[in-house]
Amino acid sequence: MLEIRNLTKIYEDGTLAVDNVSFTVPDGEFLVVIGLSGSGKSTLLRCINRLIDPTEGEIIWNGEDLAKLEGDDLRHARRKIGMVFQHFNLVDRSSVLTNILTGRLGYSKTWPTMLHRFPKVDREKAWQTLERLGIEDQAHKLARELSGGQQQRVGIARALMQDPELMLADEPVASLDPVLAHSILQHLEDLNQEDGLTIICSLHYLDLVQRYSTSVIGLKEGKLVYQGTKKDIRNMTDEEFKLIYGEEAIRISDTSLEGSLGEVVEQ
Amino acid sequence: MKSKKSQIYKEASTLPSIVPPWLAAVLSAIVPGLGQALARAIQRGLVIFFSFISIVGLLIWRFTDAAPRDEGAFDIIRKAFRLEPIFVLISIVFVIFYIWIIIDAYQMAKIAGKPEKRKPIVVMVFLILVFFVIGWQIGQIDVYAFVTKFGDAFPAISRVLWPWERAITYPEEMWMGTAALETPCDDTQPPPTEPLDDKPYLIVDPTCGIPSIQVDQEDNSIEVIPGTTIHVEGYNFTPDKEVEIWWKDPAISQFRHREGGDILRVIPDEKGYFETEITWPYRLIPDSYLEGGANWELQGRQVTTIGDWEFSAELKMAIEKMIETIFIGMMATFFGIILALPFSFLAARNLMRTNAFTLGIYYLVRGVLNIIRSIEPLIWAIIAIIIVGLGPFAGILALVVHSIAALGKLYSEAIESIDPGPIEAVTATGANWLQTIMYGVIPQIIPPFVSFTIYRWDINIRMSTVIGLVGGGGIGYLLTQWIRMLDYSAAGIAVWFIAITVALLDYISAEIRERFV
Ligand SMILES: Nc1ncnc2c1ncn2[C@@H]1O[C@H](COP(=O)(O)OP(=O)(O)O)[C@@H](O)[C@H]1O
Ligand SMILES: [Mg+2]
Repeated sequence: MLEIRNLTKIYEDGTLAVDNVSFTVPDGEFLVVIGLSGSGKSTLLRCINRLIDPTEGEIIWNGEDLAKLEGDDLRHARRKIGMVFQHFNLVDRSSVLTNILTGRLGYSKTWPTMLHRFPKVDREKAWQTLERLGIEDQAHKLARELSGGQQQRVGIARALMQDPELMLADEPVASLDPVLAHSILQHLEDLNQEDGLTIICSLHYLDLVQRYSTSVIGLKEGKLVYQGTKKDIRNMTDEEFKLIYGEEAIRISDTSLEGSLGEVVEQ
Repeated sequence: MKSKKSQIYKEASTLPSIVPPWLAAVLSAIVPGLGQALARAIQRGLVIFFSFISIVGLLIWRFTDAAPRDEGAFDIIRKAFRLEPIFVLISIVFVIFYIWIIIDAYQMAKIAGKPEKRKPIVVMVFLILVFFVIGWQIGQIDVYAFVTKFGDAFPAISRVLWPWERAITYPEEMWMGTAALETPCDDTQPPPTEPLDDKPYLIVDPTCGIPSIQVDQEDNSIEVIPGTTIHVEGYNFTPDKEVEIWWKDPAISQFRHREGGDILRVIPDEKGYFETEITWPYRLIPDSYLEGGANWELQGRQVTTIGDWEFSAELKMAIEKMIETIFIGMMATFFGIILALPFSFLAARNLMRTNAFTLGIYYLVRGVLNIIRSIEPLIWAIIAIIIVGLGPFAGILALVVHSIAALGKLYSEAIESIDPGPIEAVTATGANWLQTIMYGVIPQIIPPFVSFTIYRWDINIRMSTVIGLVGGGGIGYLLTQWIRMLDYSAAGIAVWFIAITVALLDYISAEIRERFV
């Protein structure tokens, strides 16, 4: 279980990005974070694995306060937290295989990895993961030679190599078209339902939120303004939605996205 | 719609001239441009005034420079006209310009206040014309010489273009026949040469006599009284191959025989025989060598090639120096990389902007690198030569300094353009610092680094040939020496090697870049 208590992040320039946020994520949850661009979603996710140091608050995970970890303890905690990024963040000029093996770095001895040597088990695991995500044909290509959807699968594969117990996904489908968005989210759903992986994922489109989330939190200007279950979000009213997305917001399901969504969902 | 500019122009030109046209002309004749200025064409007047002043200055300089020993304007001008006819043209153009200024002042005053158009284009054309003619003289442009003497360069150029005859040599052997002579004639004159069977020999008649004598005349000229005429016969020489006639004087110094100022050429017939007449030459010999009769020797020398061809010393030297050059470039690049790396991190803004102190270092390093880079390697070479003397090390030093600055800047730009995303992702997996650098940073900077490094190596090798010109070692040094010795074939070999190396290098670097980047 992950418990966030009074988390606050103020950037050096004084920006208050996350403002006293508290919530709990039970194991096996698919928690979706929604909010306008700039509402603090990325900051919140990056505080959890400490890519960003929170200014205040506690991040209790498996009885440990991640906010207080340093050095090796922090790295060991990070190994169990996978992360997937909006822009994939692959090393463009490295091969797919190398990118995926990067996920094992935290478990490997430093010197062999300096020579790009990984244990046999790690290599086998890499191939299994590639297969699971259906990109084994791409293993020896350079990451930059892949399409967006394929790159994000590599991103997921890299995170899976960590044997994660928690997966952070920061707008994992925002740079993909709707059909690909579904295929990526279905992979995450798979991991959530079959492997029982806890997932915290920020998403932009309400339709995707309604389709994949098991619970939802909403951020606005760094504050937690909404908390609901899957059922709540399906019955979400325009008023509640406007509270999160601002006065001018419209339901995203009104837009053209609906069509492509419907098709995939029906299949 | 009228533009604002043309409105202002119109307003200014609606005012009438301050002076009548004839006065404007007179004023411009005294102070060029003044008439125009008073006719409310102030800009035009200023341009004319300052151009006129500078043209007069230039003319005074060029005329006195052309006739430095003359005094008085008239003498100087006359001498300059005679020495360099282009001065006539310059003067004509200048006088036309001056007259035009006067006429222009008159017209400006006349059209001031009227909607007639002023044409700044005429001023420009005149100025360009005047400066062009003066520039032609200053540049000592001589198209005639260039065209007519172009052909003179052909022998040299053709040797540079095809120097390969010089790349091989044949070992040579000297074939020499001699005869003994004595001066003055006494009762112990040398006997005629004994004939030899298989070696060349000379037979002279007579075997004694007196050399030519030089007598100083009262008017400081020198009269030469010719010495004994000697009939020379040569036997057993290689047929149809030139024989050089040499003397060995009593002081044992050897010199080539000249007949009437020219080198004497004799060619033996098919039996290896020749005959010729020579005059005993003048030779200034210390008295001590002449006591008790002085012995001379006449030599017939023939140089013949023996055996197979071999590579010439020049070719070997060019190859050695070319290799030296490549290594100068390589060592310079090597040290350049190693020393540029730390600087490149200090000159990368994204790494150094964390606080004011590091940002200060960033600006300092950037500034120093920029200054070093803007100084030509040739100048660094001259400085290095002062410190470590002529030779390859000076060349390496010069190139290292320049490479550090150039690579430091390129590397730092590569570091600045790193994508932070992958670094973040690798950090998130729990990788440690070293692993993050190895997997997140290095793959991103290797391709640009390799690319820049090869580019630099390429430049360094090309530069090292240039640096050789000032004494920084390598083939450039050899090339300048050969050019100074007018040995164009040897220089051609060096030029060829440089061209081949640079072309190869271009190819190799393009290949490597393609693989890595
Ligand atoms: N490194 C940073 N320094 C200063 N301000 C930042 C930084 N990163 C994000 N912010 C600001 O923090 C706020 C939250 O940003 P972010 O967490 O990226 O929001 P979201 O992911 O929801 O779009 C925004 O106002 C943003 O401008
Ligand atoms: Mg974001």
